[in-house]
Amino acid sequence: MDTSEFGIVYAVHIITAQFGSVVSKVCECLLRKGSLSSRDISRFSESEINHNKVKDILYLLIQHNCVQAFSVEPRAGSESKAIVQYFVLFNNIIHRVRYNKFSRVVNEELGSQCGAVLDGLLTNGRLTLGQLIERDRDSENTIGSEVIRDSLRKLVAARFVERIPSPEPVIGKKEQEPGQKKKGTRAAQIIKEPETLEERIIEAATPVDAIRFPLIFEQGSSSSLADNDGNISEGKRKQHDVESSDSRNEVIWRPNFEEFIRHLRHKACVEIVKERRDEGCAIVLRAMLEVGRSQEKKVKTAKSVPMSVGSIYEEVIKTEAGRTMLQERVEACLDQLSATSSYLPAFVIEMDDSYIVDFTSIISVAQKDEMEAVVLRRYGKEAFRMFRYLSQEGHFVETDKIADAALTEKKDTPQILLKMWKDGYLHMQKLAVTGVYVPFLLWKVNKLIVSRQMLDEMYHACLNLSLRLTHEIDSEKELTLLPLNKLEGALKERLNKIKAKRLLLSSTSFKLDDAIMLFHDF
Amino acid sequence: MSKRKRAESKSSIGGLKEDENKLLDLIRSKEGMGATTFEMKLETKIVPALITRSIASLKKNHLIKEVPNINNKGIKHFLAVEFAPCKELTGGDWYNDGTLNIEKIEDLKGICVAILDSAKDRVVTFEILSTYFEKTKDKLTREQVKQILKNLVLDNVIMEVTSNGLGEFSSTRIGQVCYKLTGRKSDNGKARAGAFASVPCGACPHIALCSPDGVISPTTCDYFQKWLDF
Repeated sequence: MDTSEFGIVYAVHIITAQFGSVVSKVCECLLRKGSLSSRDISRFSESEINHNKVKDILYLLIQHNCVQAFSVEPRAGSESKAIVQYFVLFNNIIHRVRYNKFSRVVNEELGSQCGAVLDGLLTNGRLTLGQLIERDRDSENTIGSEVIRDSLRKLVAARFVERIPSPEPVIGKKEQEPGQKKKGTRAAQIIKEPETLEERIIEAATPVDAIRFPLIFEQGSSSSLADNDGNISEGKRKQHDVESSDSRNEVIWRPNFEEFIRHLRHKACVEIVKERRDEGCAIVLRAMLEVGRSQEKKVKTAKSVPMSVGSIYEEVIKTEAGRTMLQERVEACLDQLSATSSYLPAFVIEMDDSYIVDFTSIISVAQKDEMEAVVLRRYGKEAFRMFRYLSQEGHFVETDKIADAALTEKKDTPQILLKMWKDGYLHMQKLAVTGVYVPFLLWKVNKLIVSRQMLDEMYHACLNLSLRLTHEIDSEKELTLLPLNKLEGALKERLNKIKAKRLLLSSTSFKLDDAIMLFHDF
Repeated sequence: MSKRKRAESKSSIGGLKEDENKLLDLIRSKEGMGATTFEMKLETKIVPALITRSIASLKKNHLIKEVPNINNKGIKHFLAVEFAPCKELTGGDWYNDGTLNIEKIEDLKGICVAILDSAKDRVVTFEILSTYFEKTKDKLTREQVKQILKNLVLDNVIMEVTSNGLGEFSSTRIGQVCYKLTGRKSDNGKARAGAFASVPCGACPHIALCSPDGVISPTTCDYFQKWLDF
């Protein structure tokens, strides 16, 4: 999905708030123009940022996992050198406002010591084990080098932390130029290549799993055994790339955002099912997600692998809440999860005595609720009914038919529909019929267009909430600087108000980000 | 003195002219939908001035009537007197004198919700609801009951489910269409607010005009002001 205008503005705002305006200019340049060399960036940046400064900024952004360098393989026979290009990782910039969520996941799953190690990586972007230990030594609440080593091992085993990707992968030149006719056999065309440049760069930079998440850590040294494992022939090139990134031959670690997003996606799916069905169904779904987890190759998996009732039940009884459930109850829950109605689609697909989790269906329910809530709030109850009707129909419907189905006043219906169309929530087509004076208007809900529109508006809203929070804090800055014991009466009340405002703005921003993930990351 | 011959253009039916006859045939063929002057012009090729004169004459002879279109009051449809205006012109069963009877619809919806609510955890079949409304003074047809129920489904207040004969469907036939309240499982059945809809920007009609340094901006926004006014 292309980055929307307000997505870019919001990402630039995050970078400005955390790294300052000069860094944000380089970032904006990359966000708007795509991948560029450092010379091009210095040329395109609006203000005077010299080449050396651009390089420093790029290293800073790479350190914080916001930029990935790469180079394109020169054509065979060509003598020209490959130029290093830089690609901005939009998702990783937006993840920066989610660090609290990631930290909470680790604190809940692996405990506070692992949480402390992760916080170190989140704050600094990338660190070696030695740097983590050093950082701990300098802090007030030291937890000790052994604990840090052990916590890091746990984080890597749980895949919350990964070895940094290759610093400068070389990606092959795309054979297919736009406009050129496809050549080659049919079989060759069937093999799918990663579509976007971002996907190609990330795939080229990511080492194989055995190197990315090494299982054994060498005692006394900061390097991992996996580094010296000659058996991993597949990843040799990438391994070399990774090692060459660090002169001291120490492994550099960074948070693995992919795993955090997968974790939050699963959690959101369980919550959606719990809210729409019941606690029992949520327990069964959680167990199913656990069974299929190891088989998930990418975050946005549409469907899980098929699993038997037996394997689901085995997982259900591992949890405290599931221990009270008999297999019969689990089967009843699976029936409930695979049922469809006008209200809910099937969350689970039953196939030959096995069950598949339909992630797309679960996520789409929550997306639909978000869209409908906005339509209801912005355009009213009649519009809400029309929108739901058109979503159900899924094809073009004429105005009169919509008014009949939604039982709304026929003369008001076109105005309501036009309002939604103007804001991009509906798709309209005029149909001129011979013999009829006024052309027919046909309407449709295009979910993809509405999703994009809403996502852009949500980024806009997140930006607005952040700007408003800064404005509120700035307007009462003097008050917050006063010692608490000196505040009485009206002043104390003002301070309480500013605290309440800050809380409301932050918590709303937190929830809105959940909705953004629903549309963008899940 | 010989008797003057009757003009040839006059027809035998009620002494109508040929043009009027042509128009009456067209209007009759259109039954309950009738014909507009635009359609008459297009299909009969009679000049507009003659159409107007013929319509006036047909109306005077009580052979046609004029019915406004619910969608566009400016467009008049002419129907033969023996036909009643169709749903497309009047708006259908829920319209009274060209206005939607919202009060009646809301009352009927309220009754449906009360019936489903009294059923607690059980589902209610379409037949039960339809029989109930047949006995009331409104005497709704099955089609009308279906429309009311579909409207409640669009309101997201009730859901339509097909019986599988198990659990809550034990007293229904497999495949029977049933209804029950959607009621959210947690939060006592309150409607889902939506994260974006809860922010002032989610409901803002001017979001497209809003920018950090623009005339409408988050720092000067009235909606934000009201929202943060504790």
